Amino acid sequence: MSLLIQSHDLSLSIGNKTLLNNISFEVNKGDYLCIVGPNGAGKSSLLKLLMGILPISEGNLLLNNKLVSAYSQKQLAQLISYVPQSSGRQLPFSVAEFVKMARYPFHSALSDWQPADQQALENAFDITDTGQFSSRQMSTLSGGECQRVMIAAALCQQSPILLLDEPTSFLDPHHQVEVHRLIRTLNQQHQITIIEVSHDLNHASQHSKQILALKGGETLWLGQADKFLEAKRLHALYDQDFIFLDHPQTGAKIALPDEQL
Amino acid sequence: MKPSLSLVLISIASILILLLSPMLGLDAQVNAEIKHRIMTEIRIPRVLFAFVAGSGLALCGMVFQAMFHNPLATPFTLGVASGASLGAALYVSLGLSFSFLGINGTSFAAFSGALLAISIVYGISRFRQGFSTETLLLTGVAISFFFSSLILFTQYLSNVTDSFRILRWLMGELSIVGYGDLMQLLPFVTLCVAIIIWLSRELNLLMAGDDIAISRGVAVKQVRYILFFSTSMCVGAIVALCGPIGFIGMMVPHICRLIVGTDHRWLIPASLMFGGGFLVVCDTIARLIIAPAEIPVGVITTLLGGPFFLWLLIRSRSKTA
Repeated sequence: MSLLIQSHDLSLSIGNKTLLNNISFEVNKGDYLCIVGPNGAGKSSLLKLLMGILPISEGNLLLNNKLVSAYSQKQLAQLISYVPQSSGRQLPFSVAEFVKMARYPFHSALSDWQPADQQALENAFDITDTGQFSSRQMSTLSGGECQRVMIAAALCQQSPILLLDEPTSFLDPHHQVEVHRLIRTLNQQHQITIIEVSHDLNHASQHSKQILALKGGETLWLGQADKFLEAKRLHALYDQDFIFLDHPQTGAKIALPDEQL
Repeated sequence: MKPSLSLVLISIASILILLLSPMLGLDAQVNAEIKHRIMTEIRIPRVLFAFVAGSGLALCGMVFQAMFHNPLATPFTLGVASGASLGAALYVSLGLSFSFLGINGTSFAAFSGALLAISIVYGISRFRQGFSTETLLLTGVAISFFFSSLILFTQYLSNVTDSFRILRWLMGELSIVGYGDLMQLLPFVTLCVAIIIWLSRELNLLMAGDDIAISRGVAVKQVRYILFFSTSMCVGAIVALCGPIGFIGMMVPHICRLIVGTDHRWLIPASLMFGGGFLVVCDTIARLIIAPAEIPVGVITTLLGGPFFLWLLIRSRSKTA
C-alpha cells in the first residue's frame, strides 16, 4: 500500500473562528475514508482544504509525499476531483457541456479536444450510465440523475482521488443505494481512492474502510470502519443514544437512533 | 437553432447596421463633396467608434455576469462605471492635462477610478465571508451613489464650461470627429477582448461556481484579478471617451445567452457583434430622432435598459420563489 495523502495537524481558521483543529490522518492508495460527525463539525471544510478551495491555516498536507501548496491548481485537479454538496441542477449547461469541462486541467487555451479526452468522457458516461442524458440540460435532471452526472464529471477528470460531499443526502432510498453502489464500484473495480462525507452511519461502517469522526472541528475518533459502531462513541459524537441490531440479510451491525427519552 | 448559425445571423445583422447607419439622415440637398467629407470625417469614424465601444461594454458586462453568476451584475451596477466617471470628472475639473505613450490622461484617471470602485466592492465581499450576490449588488449600488454624489460635488465646484462638459459627458455621448478617439479606444478594447477570449474556458467554469471551478483546476483568484483589471481598463477607456453609457453590458450579453447559449466560445463573439451593432443603432436613433439636434446616446440606452432591468429583476424573483 502506498501512502497517497498525509495530513499532519491540519488546522483551519477563518477570522478568529477555528473551524478545524489539529486533524491528522493518512490515506493509502485504494482506500475508502468516510468522514462523519454532527452538522458544523467541519467535515465539508476538511474536503475543501484537501481540494484547495479553502487555505490551510496551520499544519501540513502532503499528496504523494509532496506539500499540497507545491502543486498548481491544475496539477492538483489531475490528482483530486470533487463532487460538491450543492445541486448541479442550477447549472446553466447541458450534461455533455458540463462533463466535458472536467477536461480543463489537461488543456491549455489553445489545445484541441483529443482522442484521450473523448475516451475519458465516454468512460465516465459508461461507468455512471449517464450517456443517455448527454444532450439534456442539467436543470431537467432528477436528483438521482443529476448526482450521477456530477460523479461522471468528476470521473471525466481521471484523477486517482475522488472527494464526495454528502452525495446521497437529497436522494430517495433507491437512488441512495444506487449511488452508494456506484461509489463502491469506483473504489473496488477502478481503484479510485474515495474520501466521502456522510451522515449515513450504517453505510459508512459497512462500505468504507476507514472512518474519521469529527466533532467541533476536532478528531473524536479515527479507525477501521467496521469497529466504528459503538454506543459510547456515537453518544459522544451526536449527543444521542443509539441501539444496535444485525442486518437480517448481511448480518452487519446496524445503528438506529434510540427513540425513548 | 445551432449556436454557430445564430452567431452568423447576429454578425450579418451587425455588419448591415454598420454599413447602413452612416447613410441615414444625410441631407439630399448637400453637394457631393460635402457629403463625402461628412461621411469620411464624421459618420464613418463615429459609427466605428460606437461599434467598438458597444462591443467593449457588452463584453465587460458578460464577464461580470459570468463571474458573479447573476445577470444583474455588470460594471455599471457594481459601481465600476461610476468610479471611472469620477476619475474622469476629477481629471477635467482639476484642469489636469497629461498623456502617456500617446494615451490621453482622462483614460488613466477613469481607469484608476474603475479599479478603485471594483477593489472596494470586491474587498467588502471578501471581508464579509458568505456574502450573497444580493449583498454584492447592494454594495455596488451604494458605491455608485457615493461616487455619483462626489461627481456632483466636483461638478458643482467647477467653472461653468467644465461643469457643462462634465454634465454633457455624464449623459453618454458619441459626438466625435475624426479617427483620434477611435485610436485612443481601440488598443484597450482589443487587449481586453484578447484576454477574455484567452480565458473563455475559465469563464465557462466560473459559471459553475467557484468551488467547482477550483476543483477542475482553475486558479480562480488569479483569473478574477486578471478579469477585474482588464475589464476596469476597458470600461475606463470607454467611459473616459464617451461617458457612462449604461445598460448595454446588462442587456446585450443576457439576450445573447438566450440566443447562443452559455458557452463562452460562442457567447464572446456574439456579445461583441450584438453589442457593437446595438450601440450603433442607439446612436443612430439618438442622432435622428430630433435632427438636426442630437440626444445623448446614453439617454436612449438607459430608456431601453431601465424596463429591461426591471423585467430581469421580476423574472429572477419569480424563478427563485
